[in-house]
Amino acid sequence: MSINTGEMKDIKEFLYKIADDQLIIGHRNSEWTGLGPVLEEDIAFSSIAQDKIGQSLHIYEILHSMGEEVPDIIAFARKAKDFRCSHLTEYPIGEYDFSLMRNFFFNHAEHLRFEMLASSSLEPLANLAKKYKGEIKYHIMHSDTWVKQLGRANEESHTRMQSALDKTFNLALGIFEESDFADALREVKVFDGESVLQDKWFEEISSILDKAGLVIPERSKWVPSYGGRKGQHTEYLEPMLEEMGEVFRLDPKAEW
Amino acid sequence: MEYIDPRVNRMELPANDDGKEIIESLEEWETYEVFHQKKRGEQHIHVGIVHAANPEIALLMAKEAFGRRRQTANLWVVKTSAVTATDYEDQDIFETTPEKTYREASDYYCMDRIRKYQEEHGIEDRKEERRKKKEVRVK
Amino acid sequence: MYGNAQIDIKEKSKSLIEGEDPVKLAEFEARIIRGEKIEPKDWMPKAYRNQLIRMIEQHAHSEIIGALPEGTWITRAPGFRRKLALMAKVQDEVGHGQLLYSAAETLGKTRESMINDLINGKSKYSNVFNYPALTWGDTAIIAWLIDAGAIINQVTNSKGSYGPYCRALERICSEESFHLKYGHDNVVYLATGTAQQRELVQDALTRWWQPIMHFHGPPDKVSEHTEILMKWKVKMATNDEMRQRFLDEYVPKIWDLGLTIPDPNLKKNESTGQWEYTEPDWEEFKRVINGGGPCNKERLQVRRWAEERGAWVRRALMKPEQKYTVPLA
Repeated sequence: MSINTGEMKDIKEFLYKIADDQLIIGHRNSEWTGLGPVLEEDIAFSSIAQDKIGQSLHIYEILHSMGEEVPDIIAFARKAKDFRCSHLTEYPIGEYDFSLMRNFFFNHAEHLRFEMLASSSLEPLANLAKKYKGEIKYHIMHSDTWVKQLGRANEESHTRMQSALDKTFNLALGIFEESDFADALREVKVFDGESVLQDKWFEEISSILDKAGLVIPERSKWVPSYGGRKGQHTEYLEPMLEEMGEVFRLDPKAEW
Repeated sequence: MEYIDPRVNRMELPANDDGKEIIESLEEWETYEVFHQKKRGEQHIHVGIVHAANPEIALLMAKEAFGRRRQTANLWVVKTSAVTATDYEDQDIFETTPEKTYREASDYYCMDRIRKYQEEHGIEDRKEERRKKKEVRVK
Repeated sequence: MYGNAQIDIKEKSKSLIEGEDPVKLAEFEARIIRGEKIEPKDWMPKAYRNQLIRMIEQHAHSEIIGALPEGTWITRAPGFRRKLALMAKVQDEVGHGQLLYSAAETLGKTRESMINDLINGKSKYSNVFNYPALTWGDTAIIAWLIDAGAIINQVTNSKGSYGPYCRALERICSEESFHLKYGHDNVVYLATGTAQQRELVQDALTRWWQPIMHFHGPPDKVSEHTEILMKWKVKMATNDEMRQRFLDEYVPKIWDLGLTIPDPNLKKNESTGQWEYTEPDWEEFKRVINGGGPCNKERLQVRRWAEERGAWVRRALMKPEQKYTVPLA
């Protein structure tokens, strides 16, 4: 496939959005290291965080091969307004119910996006999707199990999970904010678009949440939290990035 | 108070001097014994335990606790309470006596008898043929 | 990450073998002399059981408390390579805690009661974690030199007599070798980097030298208790022997990098083969271990925060029919 300059720019934007989501949610999840509800879960959740950050690194490497900065500069020295992550990923970790529910929504979207990318005309993307299939499958098993079990375990856990769902749902819809370049990517068969993804996602999460005894807000109450894909972020991203780059920025030219 | 740890500053730390028990009995659930198979075709080997509320969680946790750093084809989890074991005090029941050579292959050697019979009855020994077969096996 | 067994027998006047059946005791000791391991359901002297529970539990606590000073730097680690490695390292420490609690559980103390004792200050953990990791340099020094000290202790203890503890330590040692390499690599990059990086690591070394010298514990008093615990292969080497091994292996490596160790008296006596050094302040050690260190309170508060925040998850999945069975191995 030959790609013209305009399309190249669109593809890069697309990659930034995927990788930034993974980096930021991975970073957030890593904040639970050593503080999880039970030791075994602490270990499992850390692996998931490592996987997400590792995946983002891979995509930043692809971006670097397309002429962008090296991954460390991209991740540790970029300004908040240049990030393309969704609002869902930016929120502080909150309580474990929030972190689990966020991860649940995110994992399903990621898994379906990668499934769509597996047939992408862009080879590095298709390879990426195949490479991380197993990792993401475990992330899904992990979040589905917890959501299903805690949704039905006792009154407190049900109430917590339902309220976490209510808090995160509109944020999760923000994942599917359509970009200006969506048509271009569809035309060159790189990606079918966010609304296709959102429909698949909705179908998948509905059946799990049903088993969990949790209720999705009515469509009339859906207010997707958009803006992230255009660089408009919540108040939480900038301090997070500030912290993340604190040591790196002491001397970005130094080798750490 | 400002801590040097930004993560700690985001917590609302509890008072810590009431001496009460934070975790009640069985709050960390039961334990499951974990068995790990490295490759298809190999045995499952016991590698340790996980605390889990049910088998589904046990597998989910065992995957990372015991599978994250080693090649894995398959895992089993078994509730600790479901395992019945021999007593180490009875380890002597496994001791064997040197006389039990009748169940060792090395105890069976009757070529002498065959040769003697062959000599007596004029049957040709297939020595050369056996040597060739052995060579093929070695290759 | 753990120093060495604190020989801390409550009733000091009492003999460790008082009231034990002499025949069983003789069989037990003969097994250890033959080099066989003791397994959970074997007969064992009460003092053996209690000392092992205390020791393994303290080791486990050290891992999960040790995850805090380093864990705090995960969000600030500079660059992907360091960030991912630090995440994996701290994850391993939590995993070591999990393995060690499991080993201690085989002796009959539940994980719940061990964690309760930790949070309520009834049970100790390695003293070094009562100091803060002030800068990125500190995390490098901890990952290299504290883990190095821990490996020396853990390799030694893995030859002890209690089967489940030895098995846990074998896996732990193989993972610690990554920690040590990661820590060393990290220190080397700082020490051979810019002036600012070098200053970071030198300052950290200066700050951490005393806690490092404290790490293996004060010189052992020669006592009947120590002798018996060594005979039982609960304690495998004296604190001073461990410290000597540490100094012998790592001081030259620190000097290779042109870093300054803040002890003008530190040198190897070539005729005795022993390292000579200024005794660290053992009064300070006692003060810190008894709660007077800069981070004791914070560490336990954070641990309690984690347990309290996680309680609803654990309690939601408790079932009345659950019953505790002591793990088998």
